[in-house]
Amino acid sequence: MTGEAKLIVQGLSHHYPDEYTGESVHALDNIDLKIYENEFVAIVGPSGCGKTTFLNIIAGLLPYREGRAMVDGVDIKGPGPDRGVVFQEHAILPWRTVSRNIGHGLELRRTPKAETQRRVQEYVDLVGLSGFEDRYPHELSGGMKQRVAVARTLCADPVIMLMDEPFAAVDAQTRITLQDELNRVVMATEKTILFITHSVEEAAFLGDRCIVFSRRPGRIKSEIKIDIPRAERQWKDMVNNSKFTDARDEILGLVRSEVTSNDDG
Amino acid sequence: MTTADPAPVRRKTLRKRLTDSRAVQLIILTIGVFILWGIISAVIERPDRYLPSPLTTLISSADLLEKGVLISFYSDTLTRLVIGSIVGLLMGIPFGLILGLNRTIADMFYPLMNFFQSVSGIAIFPIIVIWFGNSSTTVMIVILYTSFFPIAFNVLSGVRSVPMRYISAARTMGASRFQIIRDVLLPGAMPSVAIGSRLSIGFAWRAVIAGEMLAGQAGLGNMIFAGQELDNTAQIILGMALIGFTWILLDHFLLRPLESDTIERWGLVTR
Repeated sequence: MTGEAKLIVQGLSHHYPDEYTGESVHALDNIDLKIYENEFVAIVGPSGCGKTTFLNIIAGLLPYREGRAMVDGVDIKGPGPDRGVVFQEHAILPWRTVSRNIGHGLELRRTPKAETQRRVQEYVDLVGLSGFEDRYPHELSGGMKQRVAVARTLCADPVIMLMDEPFAAVDAQTRITLQDELNRVVMATEKTILFITHSVEEAAFLGDRCIVFSRRPGRIKSEIKIDIPRAERQWKDMVNNSKFTDARDEILGLVRSEVTSNDDG
Repeated sequence: MTTADPAPVRRKTLRKRLTDSRAVQLIILTIGVFILWGIISAVIERPDRYLPSPLTTLISSADLLEKGVLISFYSDTLTRLVIGSIVGLLMGIPFGLILGLNRTIADMFYPLMNFFQSVSGIAIFPIIVIWFGNSSTTVMIVILYTSFFPIAFNVLSGVRSVPMRYISAARTMGASRFQIIRDVLLPGAMPSVAIGSRLSIGFAWRAVIAGEMLAGQAGLGNMIFAGQELDNTAQIILGMALIGFTWILLDHFLLRPLESDTIERWGLVTR
């Protein structure tokens, strides 16, 4: 990968006190990671491996003390509009219509109305929500809500988009559609993305690079490059693409060995 | 994508049908109550003393209207309700909000609020009379006091119950603390604000009647009380009917539209 590193993480470790016992939990261990411009990095790992903790630290929602994390060369000290997050659960606001949710980030920054409107319409169209601009979230399906969430994040034009298992809560059929659509959107917007998932298939399908996390304490177990042009990443073709199936099987083996060793321990 | 389209349209017509039939139900119910009332009044002995007929009550109200007292009593009572509960809400909402936003302040004030919440408006009446005499001010202070707690408690819990993910999402979009309060916490607390307002105004409406009776202030409460002393049962019934009827109007023209434009529109409650 050429170009500039948008996200740089060096020697990041994280401990937190357990909610009930108060004992120190070692969640992340010495993470080193660089994500370059327009790169799609998927982190996959067994549940409880610290991948969401990692994303929350990058999002600035969780303070960290050990190691460094930088976006565009600036140390992360809290949340900021340079890092947009798409959450697992629906986090779009029920009291805002589709277009007011999508334009919220710009509104918070006091972007002129005309400019906001233009950008909102652009992203409404991009994620295929034309005609639903004035609907409230409760009138939308689960898949449509996540489209709004993705559009809201992209519309605010972050340096990097962080996605925390964004399609985990939708049904399998919708998930496939959303994954195809995400590829198309990523191609159109050329965004840099950090994507967390527990689905090996999803990671291999979407990621230019897949990072496999070990069980807790989460450390980078391995890294697999998936050299498939984004334009070719569509489910109807991917199932027969050996680059995809090989990568998927390799990652599956790595994740499975983590889960198995977890059972032994 | 088109799958979600027809659903809201169908829901709207269904709701409309429901309200239509509700109106019909209401009319039937009202007529039923009047007929039952008339029958009971016709069969009992000394109906003027125990339960005057609907017609007698109507004549009595015409009489009070003619004297001009009915309107003046009614407006006195409504004025007290409006001023008392509005001041109560205007104090209770920001207070609940501050407590909901700041745990330290909340922990500090909570025992005090809990204490006074249990001391009802009627229980503080005597001391307010000692301070302010048998006056309209006394009645209004009691109303204010009564309406303050339900709204304050509800706003407090409403702010706290806003899902963390909404706040996190706003923070990651670079929202300031003020913007989070304005765009996330306040609208998120709306269901509780609506419930609290309903409770507060409902309690205030009871307190105003009790207050007028106790403080001997001209108004509906006093009218009912005087009706008993004057052996004018029709006057008592008229007062009771006005109290209930006023609440239905308040509910229909103020509280319900407020709820349907906000929390129902947002899908936060279903009716």
